[in-house]
Amino acid sequence: MTILRTTFLSLLLLMSAAGATSVAIVVSPDVPVDELSFSEVRKLFLGERQFWTPRLRVVLLMRAPVAPERNVVLRTIYQMSEAQFRQYWISKVFRADVSAGPKIVYSTEMANDLVNAIPGAVAFIDAAQIPKGLKVLKIDGKLPGDKAYPLH
Amino acid sequence: MTLIRSLTFQRAPLLILATFLVPIAATAQAGDPALQSQLIEKLLQRIDQLEKRVTELESARPGAPAAQAVVSAVQPAPIPAEKTSAAEPAAMVPSQSAGMSHDHGAPLETPASYPLFRLSGFGDINYTANDRAGSHPGFNEGQFILHISSALSSRVTYFGELSMTARTDAGTGSPAVTGFNVEVERSLIRYDQSDHLKVSFGRYHTPISYWNTQFHHGSWLQTTASRPEMVQFGGNFIPVHFVGALAEGSFAAKGLNLNYNAGIGNGRSSVLTRDGDWGDVNNHKAWLGTAYIKPDWLYGLQVGGSVYRDKINAIGRPESREWIESAHVVWNKENPEIIAEFFNISHQQPGSSVVTNNQAWYAQFAYRLPFADHWKPYYRYEYIHIPQSDAIFRGLNLGLSGSTLGMRYDISSFSALKLEYRNQKRPGLPNTNVIWAQTSFTF
Repeated sequence: MTILRTTFLSLLLLMSAAGATSVAIVVSPDVPVDELSFSEVRKLFLGERQFWTPRLRVVLLMRAPVAPERNVVLRTIYQMSEAQFRQYWISKVFRADVSAGPKIVYSTEMANDLVNAIPGAVAFIDAAQIPKGLKVLKIDGKLPGDKAYPLH
Repeated sequence: MTLIRSLTFQRAPLLILATFLVPIAATAQAGDPALQSQLIEKLLQRIDQLEKRVTELESARPGAPAAQAVVSAVQPAPIPAEKTSAAEPAAMVPSQSAGMSHDHGAPLETPASYPLFRLSGFGDINYTANDRAGSHPGFNEGQFILHISSALSSRVTYFGELSMTARTDAGTGSPAVTGFNVEVERSLIRYDQSDHLKVSFGRYHTPISYWNTQFHHGSWLQTTASRPEMVQFGGNFIPVHFVGALAEGSFAAKGLNLNYNAGIGNGRSSVLTRDGDWGDVNNHKAWLGTAYIKPDWLYGLQVGGSVYRDKINAIGRPESREWIESAHVVWNKENPEIIAEFFNISHQQPGSSVVTNNQAWYAQFAYRLPFADHWKPYYRYEYIHIPQSDAIFRGLNLGLSGSTLGMRYDISSFSALKLEYRNQKRPGLPNTNVIWAQTSFTF
């Protein structure tokens, strides 16, 4: 079983390296949203939407550089390179739009744990590694794996 | 022995995985050794996690001997959340040190961590040469900028910006003046009620200009070495700073993403280039309103405008009412980057029906080269018209037309070199040609 799991993970990593990663947007259980449009997801990740409700603030979690999921998000949502992404957040903090940039997480497990624990948290993870019970947002009515799902 | 053999057998695939993947990573990132090392480190961390998971699974099996936990190279498991209130974040172990904050990896906020203070900086070193009579080419230190942000709670944040600028009269006088002017460029405290309403008080860069509020004093943030003349720091044309109160927010507006600012404050002081830091010079408060849209269907586009109203009581100038209307169109991608603004500033003396209109505009175009993405050429044209009859701007030599042509080279993610040529013509004066080289950075 462990050999099969390891083999599966190896294949998954290879697929990720080849750019075939499908990314799921996951949120903490208290987020009162089940579905967003792609534009709304973009506003979340650009820091232009900072509140889920007036009582619940968005806490944006970003995977650290090199993770394939991050590359998907930079390419599809941000349409920015790493350098442009850095400059974007430095500029946003400097303009006093936000007090800080997104929080960095270093692994899917860490993202899963923090999304479950922090009120208002939103993160993205490899769709193939979604653990049971994690709340996954639909984007334009679609879940990861559906035809025309936009984040891959 | 059997246990060791069993554990080794379980870990062998993980070791094979590492052996298999490291060369793949190396090949994939062959062109960037730093990135390769980073990837290898991440993969090894992943192997550690997998080993830990295997150990946990083995421990969970009935009758299995207790295995020693493998210390993960990644952060320890976070403390379970305690929901103090819906508005306060959970108590969590910070994900990394505050030193990472400049790479937008800020520590996780907890009630115990407030105030959460962050400091960053901007700077530039310049070399300029021009053909004006009596001028000398030379280096100058530009501005040294410290930017402060401090989250006081999940809804209250303080922002500050300090600048230090070299004085031309440093060392003269008795006592001798210091080498640098220190200014509090911005100092404001903001309360966030929601995305629709944020209220702040303090000193701002007047939000009637896209450039003024987009780039502030961070020359590294702007493509060009120089600012357009109409929004120059210490300039007379627009009131660059504003002291007062501001309400701002955004609405989805069916995909238009409508943003607004509404402010009231002291307006210009008795010195045209300054705002009323110490108080208002008259009984009339300045007010402003700004609105702009960023439509969903055209990601990167921003279109907006502002109105500003004040009463001026400036030294050596007649009392005047001032209206400022502005508009901007921006495409804030990099291929291309387009910024265009237009200003109309009207002055009217009380009791007079005569209104004078002063107009300025600029258009800037830049393009990050796709085949050499560290390079970004740019061009800007700017124009300022001041009628001779304007009683406020008369004699200040603000009229201008000119072109700026340059190249930006990003040495690293946080520093850039810029080289530009400027040609400026002011009414009644000979053309001026300027060469400007700058290294700008953030830290």
